[in-house]
Amino acid sequence: MNLRPATESPASSSTGSIPLLEWHDLTVAYGRRPVLWNVDLEIASPCLFGIIGPNGAGKSTLLKASLGLVPVTGGSVRFWGEPLSRVRRRLAYVPQRETVDWDFPVSVMDVVLMGAASQLGWFRRAGRRERELAGDCLDRVGLTDLAGRQIGRLSGGQQQRVFLARALAREADIYFLDEPMAGVDAGSQEQIFAILAGLRDAGKLVVAVHHDLQTAARWFDAAALIDMRLVAAGPTAEVLTPENLEQTYAGRRGILDELGRAVARGVRTP
Amino acid sequence: MMLPAILAFGLPYNTLVVAAGVAAVGGAAGVVGGLSVLRGRALSGDAAAHATLVGVAGALLATGQRSLAVLLAGGLVAAVAAVGLLVLIRRFTRTRDDAATATVLSVSFGLGIVLISGMVARGVPGSAGLERFLLGHTAALTASDALLLGLVSAAAIACVAIGLKEATMVAFDPAFAAAAGWPAAAIDMVLVALVAVMVVVGLPAAGAVLVTALVVIPPVAARQWTDRIVPLLAIAGVIGVVSGLAGVVISSLAPRLPTGPVVVLLAAGWLAVSLVVAPSRGLIARWRARRGPRPDAPSLVSGRDG
Repeated sequence: MNLRPATESPASSSTGSIPLLEWHDLTVAYGRRPVLWNVDLEIASPCLFGIIGPNGAGKSTLLKASLGLVPVTGGSVRFWGEPLSRVRRRLAYVPQRETVDWDFPVSVMDVVLMGAASQLGWFRRAGRRERELAGDCLDRVGLTDLAGRQIGRLSGGQQQRVFLARALAREADIYFLDEPMAGVDAGSQEQIFAILAGLRDAGKLVVAVHHDLQTAARWFDAAALIDMRLVAAGPTAEVLTPENLEQTYAGRRGILDELGRAVARGVRTP
Repeated sequence: MMLPAILAFGLPYNTLVVAAGVAAVGGAAGVVGGLSVLRGRALSGDAAAHATLVGVAGALLATGQRSLAVLLAGGLVAAVAAVGLLVLIRRFTRTRDDAATATVLSVSFGLGIVLISGMVARGVPGSAGLERFLLGHTAALTASDALLLGLVSAAAIACVAIGLKEATMVAFDPAFAAAAGWPAAAIDMVLVALVAVMVVVGLPAAGAVLVTALVVIPPVAARQWTDRIVPLLAIAGVIGVVSGLAGVVISSLAPRLPTGPVVVLLAAGWLAVSLVVAPSRGLIARWRARRGPRPDAPSLVSGRDG
């Protein structure tokens, strides 16, 4: 895995090429309350990358700061060595499902079309090309049959797949997903995972916030453990060690059982 | 439609023009209001509406002119200032949103009332009848006033038509739009500014106290009938048009009646009917669905999984 702290000299990188994504001493504070401290990390090659940590660890904030949705207090984010403003067209974002009003009067197809239309200029409407693209994306997430349905009349897993299809319709190179598996049934989880793996295989980078330690090891190629600061990062099997998990989840009693189960399942074994 | 009814009553030309202007205002308020309600901005519009009185009174004091265009221009300045103040409060203080809105609304309204009653009491030239902006009074409108209202309304609808893609994207999911590089905050501001414009041109029809209803009620009623945004805006517009027309006609037949309450009650009547009888979302349809769900009926509540 081409993953290293950004502070290491480029010469030590295995490829020597410009990293896809690099967080350089990223610090974010809401008001005076810091939520993310000096996150320093780069991702050099396409992979399924998990951002893992307890509630309030700043996982979503890391995504939002990367996308310019919350102000960065210090440090920087670079994509292919460039600032955010120059690469927005190559990025796609899947927010948490609860952040929108699912009673909104739009159909499944309308939402996916928003993804395609988001790449158009001011006041330009979706045309035939965007419709075909949206149709393809709906097909990839297996929702073609529900294209005309109002989005509130979908299950949680289907709603998440609509969000994924909207992101796919941006035809991006880096995908940021915030808790894509939350409140999603097992079948949809597998489906979503298969699509994300397909993106990785097509040379895209997928960065997903994830809270379930049980599935993290199986789904992600690499991961970062975060608890307001970066605890560890690297290939998933090397990162999800009992020591790292304890350090990340220290003081959170409720999580100890989960930690125990995760260790028992042998996440450490590569 | 109301048009045959108007002709049947043999109303004068002026009333017909005023009816058309107010109908246009009702339609545009429904369309613009549709977007603002979907964006969850209904209350900001109310704060803007209550603030207009200060501007109306201020415009008369500053210019000494009583023309509707001047008074409404003053109202618009005040409405935009109120919304701007809300934005600043949100940004720089930790006041809760609803508390900030209620504060701006009531304080600016109080100020407007003090100004207007002071001016009327002192006999400031042109101030007589200024209190009609409280509840609306279309009987005093001239044909050229109505033309102004109609043109502004048409322009507002045109703005929505042009920016529908951007507005919908931001209203549904501002974070996604912003991540895609769209200036979500600026698009929001344009929408709020449009609402402020509609609230101001709605003043003669409904008055500062009630004009919000023109922006809020038609879209809520329209939502009952459709699951798509463009039909929703169209239906909201139609409800606004019909309510506006009917309000003008009724208050021209009963000149002592302020127009605002009539227009608002008519719109509320549409809403009440919609809430009860609308297919699938109406109370009756939901009651029947609960008693014996048909196998092909879509579920009304979204499941958490599945």
